[in-house]
Amino acid sequence: MMAIRIILMVVLQALFLRDVSPFGIWTRPEWTLWALLLVPPQSGPFYKLLCGFGMGLGLDIALGTYGQHMVAGTMLGGALPTLHRLLAPREGYEVTDRPVLRDMGAGWLLGFLFASALVYHLTLMLVVEWYWHLFAGALLPAITSACFTTAGCMVLHMAVYSPERRKASL
Amino acid sequence: MRNLWLLLQRNAFLLAFIALMSVSLSVLFRNNGAARSSWFQRTGAISSAIEQQRSQWSNYLHLAEQNATLAGENAALRSQLLSMEMDNVWKEDTLRGWTVLSGELVKGPDGKPHTLSLATPGQDVGVQPGMGVLSSGAAFGSVEESGETHSRILTLLHAGATWSCRIGRRGPVASLGWDGVTLDRLQLKDVPRHVDARQGDSIFTSGYDLRFPPDVPMGIIASVERHSGADFIDVSVRPVVDFRAVRHVEFIEHRSDSERVVLAQPSDLP
Repeated sequence: MMAIRIILMVVLQALFLRDVSPFGIWTRPEWTLWALLLVPPQSGPFYKLLCGFGMGLGLDIALGTYGQHMVAGTMLGGALPTLHRLLAPREGYEVTDRPVLRDMGAGWLLGFLFASALVYHLTLMLVVEWYWHLFAGALLPAITSACFTTAGCMVLHMAVYSPERRKASL
Repeated sequence: MRNLWLLLQRNAFLLAFIALMSVSLSVLFRNNGAARSSWFQRTGAISSAIEQQRSQWSNYLHLAEQNATLAGENAALRSQLLSMEMDNVWKEDTLRGWTVLSGELVKGPDGKPHTLSLATPGQDVGVQPGMGVLSSGAAFGSVEESGETHSRILTLLHAGATWSCRIGRRGPVASLGWDGVTLDRLQLKDVPRHVDARQGDSIFTSGYDLRFPPDVPMGIIASVERHSGADFIDVSVRPVVDFRAVRHVEFIEHRSDSERVVLAQPSDLP
């Protein structure tokens, strides 16, 4: 399921959402992160790492940016276990907890999405710009893009996993 | 082995992360020009620094060998220099009567005490018994016999020969001989105890034996031993000529040699 979700988002981003950037370089969202960040916190670290690597590989193939998203995806996949551990509730995760609004709440999800998006966008900035003297100019757009990605993922969460839909289904 | 396996198990995630990141970076370097050039610049600088360091260490480790080579080259150059200086002397002396003939050694000293060496040419170009023989400007020996095309050379390495020499250019005269033991050691004979001979002093020909002009280099004092109660000191001399490496020689003769020989004979005057 996770693989299908990631592949679907990669295709969507490559075909339709690629140019959804209302403010140019300041808002370049990475929609596929939404699929990756749905990896349950209870999953093993290798699974998270492989999901990140696979997402980056898919994006690179689809977008023709060979290596850039693989590095960023691997970095985020490697950082996910730590992020989950740092953001874990005091009593720990429930077995059925998923990183969605209705399970973890808006505060937790916002923080988790922003931290993850920041890791991804900063890594992407490093490998895209590459030279030290270009980092200063690219830092602020990377942060604002991370904010935009967070907002986009929140919108997707509310659209797909909203608490109201759960109540309706009950 | 078990500990290694446990260590790998413990750090499996980190290793997997490093492996996947390496794969990602390798793809990036292959396809991103800026990243590739930057990578090569940095790795090139590092490998250059390592290579430089390795080269320094290698040079340091080969220093002794290089020193030996340089010393050999220095010795050869010094010999040539002495030869050039002697050339000047010979040119001046030629006006006063010295002539020089070039030749080639056919058979050199073999380390035995009484062996004579063989060289070309012979009487066909005027080589006569009694002529001095030089090698690279240093004393090598004298002609003992001369045939039509070859000459027999009595070298400094002959246990039965003695050579008149001088310690330094202005020092006392002594006799130089060989005890037949080692090729690189000659012995100064009959040096009185009061003579100020020191290690490193040069030994030159005195010119008194009529075979060489004066001040031709013969050797360098290697050691001086003074025995209590003895009237003479033991002086060991390292010859300037490397007798095992000599190939070209020069024959020298005073133009009025016969006159000098006759006049040098003991007279019957009371």
